[in-house]
Amino acid sequence: MFWRVVFAEIEKNIKQFFFTSRILFWTLALPLGNGFYLYFLYLPFAASSVSLEFNVSWYTLDLVGFTLIGQLLYTFFTMMLLAGTIFERDREQGTLETLLLSPANRLAVIFGAALASALNYVWFLFGILLSWVAFLGVKIIVNDFFALFASVVLSYVSMVTIGMCFEAFVICSRRGVMFATILQEPVMFFSGLAFPLQAMPRTLLSISYLIPLTFGLLSLRLTLLGGASLFDVAVPLMALAFMTLVFLVLATWLVGYAERSAKKKATLTQF
Amino acid sequence: MDNASFAVEARQLSRDYVSSKRSHLVGKKKTTVIRALDQVDFEIQEGELFGLLGPNGAGKTTTVKILCTLLEPTGGKAFVKGYDVVKDAAKVRRIVNMVAGGERMLYYRLTGRENLEYFAELYDVPKREIKSRVNTLLGLVGLSERADDEVEKYSKGMKQRLQICRGLINNPEVLFLDEPTLGLDVNIAKDLRKFIREKIVEEQGKTVLLTTHYMFEAEELCDRVGFLNKGKLIAVGRSEELKRKMPTGFSIEVLVTRLTDDALEGLKRLEPVKNVLTTAYEGEAEDEKVDRLIVNVDSDRTAPEVLNYFSAMGCRVVSVNIRGPTLEDLFMFYTGE
Repeated sequence: MFWRVVFAEIEKNIKQFFFTSRILFWTLALPLGNGFYLYFLYLPFAASSVSLEFNVSWYTLDLVGFTLIGQLLYTFFTMMLLAGTIFERDREQGTLETLLLSPANRLAVIFGAALASALNYVWFLFGILLSWVAFLGVKIIVNDFFALFASVVLSYVSMVTIGMCFEAFVICSRRGVMFATILQEPVMFFSGLAFPLQAMPRTLLSISYLIPLTFGLLSLRLTLLGGASLFDVAVPLMALAFMTLVFLVLATWLVGYAERSAKKKATLTQF
Repeated sequence: MDNASFAVEARQLSRDYVSSKRSHLVGKKKTTVIRALDQVDFEIQEGELFGLLGPNGAGKTTTVKILCTLLEPTGGKAFVKGYDVVKDAAKVRRIVNMVAGGERMLYYRLTGRENLEYFAELYDVPKREIKSRVNTLLGLVGLSERADDEVEKYSKGMKQRLQICRGLINNPEVLFLDEPTLGLDVNIAKDLRKFIREKIVEEQGKTVLLTTHYMFEAEELCDRVGFLNKGKLIAVGRSEELKRKMPTGFSIEVLVTRLTDDALEGLKRLEPVKNVLTTAYEGEAEDEKVDRLIVNVDSDRTAPEVLNYFSAMGCRVVSVNIRGPTLEDLFMFYTGE
């Protein structure tokens, strides 16, 4: 029953919300454009590489790769935050009621919806990765493919669980989308999206380490551009795994709470 | 399963809506409580088509939403097939479904067939049955030929028929129909009513709770009706039984022009007249405002006296219809509106 609902949700959401040529074009064009914007910010400094300190080691990373990885993962993060808008639209068109009228597992519903957003992202992720190498000459240095795989999967899954939390939040609140929008700028700053974390004042670093995106960026940059091993990125990967678990538990609790609250406050329809 | 003898049961069911609003940005919050449902009691037998009637805002949709677990009551209890709609909500969801009027509750970019297949998955309909069940339902409502078109290309009537299919996709034991003919053309609404009566209730034996503010619809369809007004259930029973409780046996429905307040007051004092209700009428006769009156009398033989009165008072009678009491008369009788 759980997986039937997950697959049904994925199929429905992709057909209903994502598969139009315009959406496919803009989800490809916008992050790429923003990535170039970040890249060109560095050009006046005539730098071609970024020095990144992690775990007392120093890594020299390709500048284009550094900024584009930041942009790619950040886009995924915002996409997951905005996955909640699926339920905002469901509420407007009355389908949130039909969904919750059914006995379908609620966690499966939000998991399926988040995965649909995630799949929508994957298609251009590979396209962009290829274009980096082909057109921008990004120097990819991978020494440990398992470390890279673990970094990709854990970054991806942690973002999906964040998306699930936001979806659950939107079920009981019309402020979900606004909250997601407000979160974007601070996360962009604290995660080290556009600059290495060692440039951040020490007092602010503790905030950075509360954000899964920070660890996702670290592990991906180190394993894809810096040739880091699984041992080198063990700390960010463990942090990501822990945060994924926390967000999963939170999403499970929140979806139950959201439904109960919405039924008490009568907010399942547009209000 | 304490209350399994009825398909649906409401006991002292109440629902308050609380809203808070600030008068300005930093002003004090003002909380308003609206009682949408006030200690409502009723029950529905297995296989019965029960009509819940009332004007807009009477509490009909609130009742339906509570019964199908979309809303929690703030007081009282409700049971579907013996299951408490709050405590056993998961069990209730498996055996009920709900169809609301209007064009919402469907995914517009999906085809009719895809919509039904999606909901079949949510209801855990066995994989091997989905295709045949979807085809059967589409055939039942005459949508087979348009099944693979996106719903956004459907007319309002087609969307409503697809909604009925969605409501039947899990083969529910109890079906809630909330104003299912709202906004539909006369012919389509008539077909839909026939479908509800003949296919859903008589053929499939399902229990149906239908809400409507169209009294004739309830008269045509329902085994029993309940009148809801301002959150209170003011009468429940078979329409014939309820009609017998009316103090007057006949209604003269008159459309008149040039009706004055004095003429209306005088009419109420006439010997054979038991009650007079004025209702809204949109229309004019030879550029004159038309008033619609329902005059309750004991016998149809008193009609000439009433009509002569209008002539004597200088009113022009545009049309007269003498009939036994309808549900509309009953509703107005009970509510005084």
